[in-house]
Amino acid sequence: MTMSGFRERPSRVTIAALATGVLALAVAPWVLNEFLLSLALTCLMYAGLAVSWAMFSGATNYLSLATAAFFGIGAYVTALGYESLTYPVSVFLGGLAASAFAAIVGVAILHLRGAYFAVLTFGLGELVRHAITFVEKKYSGTVGRVLTETPEAATVYLTVLVVALAAVAVCVAVRSSRFGLALAGIGADEQRAQTLGVNTRLVKIGGFALSAFFAGALGAAMAVRWTYIDPPAVFNPFIGFQTVLIAMVGGAQTVAGPLVASIVFSLLTELLRLQFPYLFLIILGTLLILLVLYLPGGIASLWTRKRAGKRDG
Amino acid sequence: MGFWLELAASGLITGGIYAVVAMGLNLQYGLMRIMNISHGEFLMVGAYLTWWAQTILQVNPLVFLPVVALMLFVLGLLVYRLCFRPIARTAANAEVVEARSLLVAFGLMFIVQNLAYLVWGADLRGYTFLSDSVEIGGARFGANRLLVFGFALAASLALLAALKFTLFGKAVRAMMQSPTGAQLVGIDTAVLHPAVFGAGIALAGVAGALLSMVYEISPSMGEPYTVTALIVITLGGLGSAGGCLAGGLLLGLVEAFGMHFTSPSLKMLLSYGVFILVLLARPRGLFAR
Repeated sequence: MTMSGFRERPSRVTIAALATGVLALAVAPWVLNEFLLSLALTCLMYAGLAVSWAMFSGATNYLSLATAAFFGIGAYVTALGYESLTYPVSVFLGGLAASAFAAIVGVAILHLRGAYFAVLTFGLGELVRHAITFVEKKYSGTVGRVLTETPEAATVYLTVLVVALAAVAVCVAVRSSRFGLALAGIGADEQRAQTLGVNTRLVKIGGFALSAFFAGALGAAMAVRWTYIDPPAVFNPFIGFQTVLIAMVGGAQTVAGPLVASIVFSLLTELLRLQFPYLFLIILGTLLILLVLYLPGGIASLWTRKRAGKRDG
Repeated sequence: MGFWLELAASGLITGGIYAVVAMGLNLQYGLMRIMNISHGEFLMVGAYLTWWAQTILQVNPLVFLPVVALMLFVLGLLVYRLCFRPIARTAANAEVVEARSLLVAFGLMFIVQNLAYLVWGADLRGYTFLSDSVEIGGARFGANRLLVFGFALAASLALLAALKFTLFGKAVRAMMQSPTGAQLVGIDTAVLHPAVFGAGIALAGVAGALLSMVYEISPSMGEPYTVTALIVITLGGLGSAGGCLAGGLLLGLVEAFGMHFTSPSLKMLLSYGVFILVLLARPRGLFAR
């Protein structure tokens, strides 16, 4: 990724295409049948998760596996506030709660790099999950909660769409801002960024918390899809893994890459998982290995490489 | 008195297994920066192979132990050749190796675990082996557990000795200290890397074979051991085999006593708690100088 890539202005064609796409997505609940709508919902959820993950981890090279933790915290905010809060408010609060959690945790762990950071963030999800299970067992006697009246499918879909679009918009805005350049600078060489006057600590905490907001909001929005919420379901590590895989397979340094990959993955998941659960994961694993070995820049390198070639020639 | 001895022993027995698993992972990560998240899956494969040998061929699991080690060593060579050598060859620096190997290992984890589901099914499997109890100092232990602990300790000590006293071990330690320096004095990466990776996988297989003598096995048994192994490596320090042994035993003890004083459902919470405390207070490991 060259530096000029960050400041590129989208052409009119791109804007028109984007507007059409958003419009098409917005009318989906009235056009698609139930199965396709739920498929679209999965796509949107992973798109939002992967793009917001890439905003922090793709830029800084801090491999965070905490998505499952943020997602679960958001979902639990919905579960806890279900009777007193309206749906949009609990989505927003879910994002804020995840953000606050990320900021607090970030203060403690963002000085660690590499595998330590990855393992510790993975542990966070498990830690929160076990802690909630323990507290629920101890104080309410039961684990999990039942949501009785859930919003309509169209409401859920549109809410997730708004959150996912916000994630994309914020990610695009961040990439062309000073803040985004600081994040990318940390990814390229943290010490150099520090020497050049970037407050790396603050920038990292801010980026981590910002990306956690969307994961939390998506968790809060998706929580109503399960009528029964319990820790193993919402702190599912698979959600975290899938997010990281989508972002990296798509190309974590780009915005479009994770978007494309989230569609491919969601389709693959929905089409194959129910019929061939084991075979599906074997195929997924093989695909992942092949992509990492032979297309290390992700799917996005298919078109960024071409564009770079054009510019040079 | 007998009760405390039993508690400590059960902690040490689990700890011994942790140490063997963690040493295997530490070889891979410490030497090649391969973040092998699928390490625990090879433990599961070792356990199933032993179970097969025991139930189909009626082979004594202890006799089968070296066979498991050899089979997994070869499997490790194959996995290294197919998945990790291309990364090591093309990656620009250690950080890239780490990130890419982590992803590839995720893929491996999916493949191995689900192949196991296809081949062996999702049921819990097991066999009884030397399950009579032995009394020592007023405390009762399963004979198989003591045996498992003995073998785990022996495997760990053998690895430590091999690293310390053989030329090959010296080469490995040199490579860990300075990859470039080691290559300058003529240590051949093309031989050392696959061999060490294979040895790491073999250790996981041995741990799995030992576990199958005591516990029931399932295709999803490996994952928690991967996480525990990562915790133990952090406790013991990267690349330090001795630290791994001490860290593994320590974590086993912490878990055993912690669960006794709180509740068994807090087991993972306890390990993560220890992990986070160590990372915050001593990020280079408990025994770092």
